[in-house]
Amino acid sequence: MSQSTNPTTQFQTDANRVTADVDRRSFLRSSLRGYQKTRTATQERFLSYESARIAAGDAKWEAIENLDVYLAQFADKLESRGATVHWCSDSEEARSAILEIIKKHDAKSVIKSKCMTTEEIHLNELLEKEGFEVVESDLGEFIVQLRDEAPYHFVFPAMHLKKEEINTLFQEKLKSINTDDPEELTMVAREVLRQKYLSADIGISGANFGVAETGMISITENEGNARLTTALPKVHIALMGIEKIIPRLEDLALMLPMLATAGTGQHLTCYNSQLGGPRQDDESDGPLEMHVVLLDNHRTRLLADPEQRDALRCIRCGACLNVCPIFKNVGGHTYGTTYQGPIGSVITPHLRGLKDWKHLSHSSSLCGACSETCPVKIDLHHHLLRNRRDAAGKGQGGLAEKVLMLGFTIVMRRPWLYRLTGRLGKIGHVLTKPIHGTRIDPFYAWKKTRDLDDPAKQSFKQYWKSRK
Amino acid sequence: MSRDAILGRVREALSVETDTHVREVVKKSPHSLPVLANGPDGRTQAVKEFLPSVGESLEEHIAAFKVLSDKLQTEFIVVPSIDSARQAIEQLRQKHEWERVAVHNHDLVQTCVNQLSVEFLDTSVNYDAHALEKCDVGISGCDALIAQTASALVTNHSAGGRALSVLPPHHVVVADASQMVTTMADGFALIREKHGDNWPSFISFITGPSRTADIERVLVLGAHGPKKLTIIMISA
Repeated sequence: MSQSTNPTTQFQTDANRVTADVDRRSFLRSSLRGYQKTRTATQERFLSYESARIAAGDAKWEAIENLDVYLAQFADKLESRGATVHWCSDSEEARSAILEIIKKHDAKSVIKSKCMTTEEIHLNELLEKEGFEVVESDLGEFIVQLRDEAPYHFVFPAMHLKKEEINTLFQEKLKSINTDDPEELTMVAREVLRQKYLSADIGISGANFGVAETGMISITENEGNARLTTALPKVHIALMGIEKIIPRLEDLALMLPMLATAGTGQHLTCYNSQLGGPRQDDESDGPLEMHVVLLDNHRTRLLADPEQRDALRCIRCGACLNVCPIFKNVGGHTYGTTYQGPIGSVITPHLRGLKDWKHLSHSSSLCGACSETCPVKIDLHHHLLRNRRDAAGKGQGGLAEKVLMLGFTIVMRRPWLYRLTGRLGKIGHVLTKPIHGTRIDPFYAWKKTRDLDDPAKQSFKQYWKSRK
Repeated sequence: MSRDAILGRVREALSVETDTHVREVVKKSPHSLPVLANGPDGRTQAVKEFLPSVGESLEEHIAAFKVLSDKLQTEFIVVPSIDSARQAIEQLRQKHEWERVAVHNHDLVQTCVNQLSVEFLDTSVNYDAHALEKCDVGISGCDALIAQTASALVTNHSAGGRALSVLPPHHVVVADASQMVTTMADGFALIREKHGDNWPSFISFITGPSRTADIERVLVLGAHGPKKLTIIMISA
């Protein structure tokens, strides 16, 4: 990934490189086929998956449309249980809030469980710069951290790597034995990380849901690393976006199976834990302090959009990435964003600016697979169109698009000109045939990956007339 | 204050109503059953009526729990009495050569382990995490068994704290058949009943031994938590 270039250029360069790598692409595809198979089997056990989607989507609408009430209730409840809630408007505020807690405790090492929001605010970079040891404990995250890479997929961070590559990495960085057996590799990581839990001063986690009614965060995982992160260190910090709220505890009974089914194809992930406050007086372990850092970071800007606030209902299952033909071809790193795939393409322009990130909404086939698979029924592919519309409305389409659209308008409003253009186009097509597909073709950029068929002998209008 | 600033921005954003077209998308589906009432009751009902069915009777619940447990590689042992539960644990001790066992102050657990000749660590009171890490197994109770998901529902009270059920390489749960409920929502209701508004700070649904598939989608048990999960249920 090239960081210095602008996001559009970086996307194009990386997309070209990755799509040419047939081996990696077929590796990615076969792993996503495996996901699809498990998921379909799990979904078929539902009495009505469609109805469950409607109910789950509805629960998140209730939360988002009453977010002010539920957020306040969530924070008040948590504080009444002895936790401290930090309200942060942007990345900078969240980073300093977290840094302050760590410094106050004179901590040296930090253990983290998977949390995409910490990627969003670039927390690791800051903590490492300040001299703290920061260890990612989720296996996939641990692997990409050792490679000094961003997660490839926000649910499967290391899905792009083959076991041989992980073997090389572990030998190099952990001086481990030579093995490419996934089980042995996992055990290598287990042994390394065990000691880190016991010695870490601070545990940092994310939150999949924040329960307003009872003031609890809910964490979903398979490995047990989040449970250890929130059980052993004496301070627990949870970072969550303000949109993670759900109204009631019982809502989890629906949301957790939906998250698992859509996310990994499991009927439920291994550990689903609700944490409401630090260790209480009658309890024998757990952190002495719990801090919940609530992050806005332009989520309220998205909320102010009466159409696209829909996207704040996302539960980050990653299903839309898994079914997306674009993701399958360009891969996760190409996006250059914290959240990849269709959901990333929808929300990134709101979180980081439409001007620099509108290209993501154009890298879509509008096939609608994302909307069809979303467990809470977010209207994803239409939001991509809405981003395109908004970019054009703000005149961000570029000069070429403007000229093209102006020409289109002129032609379409004048039937005689439309007929003339049609005829000229046919002649032009025949005359330019010798240069088709070459670099001097004026439409080279468009045609280098596409074929343009010869125009029909008869236009539709001529055909219609001849029928009568 | 940032709290007021953020809540202010949220309120201002919500002063514009959601676009009706976007809002209606959720309600549309050609394949759905009749939509239930909105709100909490509707959703609790949704869990029963739309999610996988596990029947009404205890026998059906146990059968469903068994099927999913096999798939999850949870060892699910149904025994007729407390005495046979005690024997099952003694057999496990011999098979896995336990020397150090973590337990907590829980009637059923204590009854089941009181004749076990091993070194015990009690996590009901202040304990050393390094000592727990050296234990071969953690034996705990639970609040409920969930038929729909084959989960053991625990809190720090029913499972000897937050770490006993996740730090040692083997976790054994002892439960009574009367603790079997249909859905996760029923599990939450039980905890609500037991603790009122004074919630335990930790609640967890444990569904199978710890696992990962982060390397080439190959399933590996015991990623960070226990490699083995045994649930012993007394059916009498």
